[in-house]
Amino acid sequence: MNTGKAVRADLKVVPSHSSLWGRLLEGDRHAFAEIYETHVDHLYHYGMHFCRDHERVNDNIQDLFQDLWLTREHLSPQVQHIRYYLISSLRRRLLRSLQRDRRWQYRDSWEGFEFEFTTPQENKLILEETAAEQKKLLQAALGNLTRRQREAIYLRFYQNLSYNEVAGIMSMQVDSVYNTISKAIAILKKNLPFPLLLLFLGR
Amino acid sequence: MARKDYSSYTARDFALDEDFQQWVLQPATRNVFWERWLEQHPEKENDVREARQLLQGISFTSFQLSSEQKDGLWEAICGGLEGEGPTPQEPTRTNWWQLWKYAAALLLGMLIAGGWYWWKAEPKNTILSSHTRLGEVKTFLLPDSSEVTLNANSRLLYASAGKQREVWIDGEAFFHVKHTASHQKFIVHTYDNVHVEVLGTQFNVNSTGKEVVVVLQQGKIQLNIEGRNTSLALQPGDIVRYNKQDGDFTKSSVNADQYVSWHTGRLVMEDYSLADAATFMQQVFGKTIIVPDTQLLKYKVSGSMPIIYNADTMLVQLEKVFRMKFNQKGDEVWIQKK
Repeated sequence: MNTGKAVRADLKVVPSHSSLWGRLLEGDRHAFAEIYETHVDHLYHYGMHFCRDHERVNDNIQDLFQDLWLTREHLSPQVQHIRYYLISSLRRRLLRSLQRDRRWQYRDSWEGFEFEFTTPQENKLILEETAAEQKKLLQAALGNLTRRQREAIYLRFYQNLSYNEVAGIMSMQVDSVYNTISKAIAILKKNLPFPLLLLFLGR
Repeated sequence: MARKDYSSYTARDFALDEDFQQWVLQPATRNVFWERWLEQHPEKENDVREARQLLQGISFTSFQLSSEQKDGLWEAICGGLEGEGPTPQEPTRTNWWQLWKYAAALLLGMLIAGGWYWWKAEPKNTILSSHTRLGEVKTFLLPDSSEVTLNANSRLLYASAGKQREVWIDGEAFFHVKHTASHQKFIVHTYDNVHVEVLGTQFNVNSTGKEVVVVLQQGKIQLNIEGRNTSLALQPGDIVRYNKQDGDFTKSSVNADQYVSWHTGRLVMEDYSLADAATFMQQVFGKTIIVPDTQLLKYKVSGSMPIIYNADTMLVQLEKVFRMKFNQKGDEVWIQKK
């Protein structure tokens, strides 16, 4: 039962002709340039984590934007989150282009979406060797996550896409996204209290 | 509608909560909710701090295009589009694409010079909307940092276009408007000829019943009535009631608390009649109150109580307060003497 008032920010953007997407659909070249400028860094970052192949990423981003302009009349006016749309599209393109590549058959063993975990400032006071040891343990623990799991974590925490959007992009259930992130948090959590505790004992 | 009970959350639960993550990942659009919640739950500070550390500690290898690479890529994109047939606005293809190239180069220069500018400028032309269902209340920040609490069964639209900020309200809302550095006007439109104009202040607008009722809690507002060429200046505690049907209006002084306290989750009842309670139940929960003995409607109480956003609980509370018998039949509530 709800015992208080619900307080949540959830304003929705109303699809309108004044929105960036709406202007693109109408053929506004400034809107097109603005979308490129706003999103190209995120797309490149995603692409590089996806396949570590600068040329391939570049080519696919180029195709993506050209198609965006050429097919603008057929695009859905309902797109509310442009970054979600662009990343989904880039992912499909990269997958298609990689499927033609023989090396990609070993994709499960491919690196990608590795992340680091840095503890806050205060922990820098800890003896360097302890920190290094700790980091090794943590990286080993994180190494147990699969590439897909890391990608889900990346999309949520780096690209700031919602659980629903992550599920949509990776064709997985929202529950699995949630479980994946839960698993990662558990690993981090297990590793976090130790250095903090040391810090207090050391003082 | 269920709300999560955050007071029993551990650091791990917080770190997993999408709403909490949003607050940590995008502090710029930080949520009124979390700041307030922390103030009310200081005992959870450690859990919240740990959860923040968990989320903020995650970092990914950086890959970046240099600005030359970005320009090059943009040129390749535009170059590849030269084969596209002429569009209606352009006289000849070649001309247009040459112009396009210059324009693009110029634009890119501008964009790169101030990438953040676009990011900041973007919300200026956006239209935002929100609505609440029966039995639901929401508080949120508008892009200009003004805070709005939307009462049940209400709709709000927000648009900001350079000179002024504008909202359209259908229902009831409490506004806490931030004064901007550029003295941008904030205008609240109702769909019934009443428009409120302010710079920065706190006030309540209710257009749910036969009247539009505007109550000023703090600051100063100007209220314009369309079609009557009337403009009223309101002082704190002033109330204006506008009759939607005949366009008549009255202005008087009241205890503003009684009209605005709902946004803090309390029902302040000062000479609060059963008729007032009926209006409240109708507005917030969509209940129709039927009182066969109309004398009862004048029965008044004073005091205050928390608003529970659950119709059944609220009815039980009011039943006790008014010492009457409430019988629920679907969306109808029949009230009789005990």
